[in-house]
Amino acid sequence: MRGHFRAFSFVDRIASVEGALSVRGHYAIPTEVEVFPASLVSEAVGQLAAWAAMAAVDFSHRPVAGIAGKIELLSPVRPGQVLDLVVELESVDKEAVGYSGSAHAGGVPVIRLSDCVGPMLPVEDFDDPQLVRDRFHLLRADGLPPGGFGGLPLIGVDHYGGEWGDSTQAVLQVPMGAPFFDDHFPRRHVFPGTLLMHGNLQIAAILAAEVSSVAAEGAWVPRVVSDVKLRTFISPGEALDLKATRTRLSETELEVTVESRIGPRLIGSAKILFVREVSS
Amino acid sequence: MNNIDITKDEILAVFPKVAETVADAIGCEVEKVKLESSLIDDLGAESIDFVDILFRLQRLFKVKIPRGKIVEEARGNLTEAEFEKGGIVSDTGGVRLRAFLSEVPPERFKSPLKVADIPRLFTVETFCKLVIRQQRAAAAAPVIPPA
Repeated sequence: MRGHFRAFSFVDRIASVEGALSVRGHYAIPTEVEVFPASLVSEAVGQLAAWAAMAAVDFSHRPVAGIAGKIELLSPVRPGQVLDLVVELESVDKEAVGYSGSAHAGGVPVIRLSDCVGPMLPVEDFDDPQLVRDRFHLLRADGLPPGGFGGLPLIGVDHYGGEWGDSTQAVLQVPMGAPFFDDHFPRRHVFPGTLLMHGNLQIAAILAAEVSSVAAEGAWVPRVVSDVKLRTFISPGEALDLKATRTRLSETELEVTVESRIGPRLIGSAKILFVREVSS
Repeated sequence: MNNIDITKDEILAVFPKVAETVADAIGCEVEKVKLESSLIDDLGAESIDFVDILFRLQRLFKVKIPRGKIVEEARGNLTEAEFEKGGIVSDTGGVRLRAFLSEVPPERFKSPLKVADIPRLFTVETFCKLVIRQQRAAAAAPVIPPA
């Protein structure tokens, strides 16, 4: 399977594991990609947490995306930069892992995750446990050369309406096939929660652009994604109805809540805080 | 650990924070969260919400709450084989469960009761008592001085 451990893997090396609860790693963003958005930096931190959690339970179980209390978007990254990843496990067992983490690039903080929780499920439902174990040991040893990730997949987000400045709606069409499914995961194709986060940021940005404020100078910049919850797996081919609603507005801050549904069923939600920044 | 000596005053003391935690986790108005509210049937909680609530309560009250703690404590000194057979709560297990979850109206205990359906019985008061028991356990734990 060409994409396995390549197409959607964002940890090149696990540099240190201290007491099984504190882990450091690295990921080199390929130079060839056009962009590397915040959602994928978040994915990198989450994947390091996943490696730590799997090792803690001897690779019997692995975490899946569930809850993120707060994701602070501190600064953008560029292709070619190396992400220094740090994760602290709050607790881990075969039921769930709780963790926080961060990423830096060139000493500059890029992202900070707090109060994250991933339900744990049997590894064998998603991948070959021995291959996963072997991969961990490779990452702990020499690590991997950069490359593998071919760039952000094109995911259709069709904006179709709403109430100007109050809400906006879109359909996110999950592809039937994509390279990242080989990696996420070989035995069960699941649309990554961080790609849904990317879609949420896109639709929230559309609404933010519609929102005016008394101080019209500057632009709305997303700074915090919070109260993120994913309630079920998203399969290939699903059509997700995204709705972004303005929930709070002041001169300097805009909060948008995004809900994702398949039919009537709520499958994900998040709040996004924008701040008004004047470019120098 | 049992619930017998947990007083109403103790429950009401933790209820506001537990209610706010449940409301934040489920995404509902805190006014909807009553002591007697069933998390699944009244408030629409799903399994991910239970995980969320337990982690939030751990952080808020600074206690450890292992998953499955409520059922483990309800079972008490019964073995698993005595508590359930083939995923169905035994008669003995049912008696123990009803006594432990005294805040749950008796008519909500269906027969036969699947082990997987036990969380449907849980109310906000169930979680208040869980927090109190864990606080007491933490207070009673021996303090090991640093080496």
